[in-house]
Amino acid sequence: MSIAAIWEFIAGDSRRAPVAVALAVAVAFVLLRSSVSSTIVAVAFAGVIALGLAAAVFERT
Amino acid sequence: MNGWTLAGTSFLASAVEAVEAMTIVLAVGVTRSWSVALRGAAFALLVLALLVAIFGPLLRLVPIDQLKLVVGIVLILFGLAWLRKAILRYSGRKALRDEDAAFARQVSALRAAEDVQADRIGLVTSFKAVLIEGLEVAVIVVTFGAASTAALGWSAAGAAAAVLLVVLAGIALKQPASRVPENTMKFVVGVMLTSFGTFWTGEGLGIQWFGADLSLLILAAFYLAVSGLLIATARAPRTVRA
Repeated sequence: MSIAAIWEFIAGDSRRAPVAVALAVAVAFVLLRSSVSSTIVAVAFAGVIALGLAAAVFERT
Repeated sequence: MNGWTLAGTSFLASAVEAVEAMTIVLAVGVTRSWSVALRGAAFALLVLALLVAIFGPLLRLVPIDQLKLVVGIVLILFGLAWLRKAILRYSGRKALRDEDAAFARQVSALRAAEDVQADRIGLVTSFKAVLIEGLEVAVIVVTFGAASTAALGWSAAGAAAAVLLVVLAGIALKQPASRVPENTMKFVVGVMLTSFGTFWTGEGLGIQWFGADLSLLILAAFYLAVSGLLIATARAPRTVRA
């Protein structure tokens, strides 16, 4: 089984969704290190994931 | 973490995959023999049970914060993939899965096979169907079980109950379960996996969730609302400029 097949098994055929998840993790990491309140980080984190879902729905695969 | 929520999510995920696997096992049983179909399915279930038994406890050797981060990200990716597919199907951008058509395709492929090879092909088909459909469920059960032994027990029990129910229904009906609201189940599982994944990844990163476990409900409501909005938007007819 190739790495591409394993990746597709985990993330499906969307390219945008994994990018959004990586972005959400990066944003949350930076905000937490900048002493931003946890509630704001949580909202930003879930918000970026939701935007990733929206981008994935309108993505051509 | 509420055991019933884990068991329920794992039950729904397993039921969706079990219905798809059952269609192929039924096709093998009807076309070739029940012994061949059930042997293939039993081998695959054994492999899946072994994977859960080995990797479930192994994961708990990893430090909990790193584990939550990795497991959470995997759950978000899984959840988004399920949710995306369900939204596309609800909005009419992707065809709904048709179990009757899948059954007919499989039956005609097996009938076309040479008699000498047909039993072997039937066994492999049944094995592969259960293994491939079950692998995703095994990953979900193992990742849920990463939290504790009790969580592994709850999620494995949910999966086992779903498989048992679908198998019993398959034996009783002897035809594909085409009336199961597969897309709705996929949609609910997508929302739950994305919510669990967001929660665990957040905890792994160091986010203090508002209301602790209660925020799981808030996350589920949020993703449900976003998904509803996306279905409505994706469904809306697009205006074409001249």
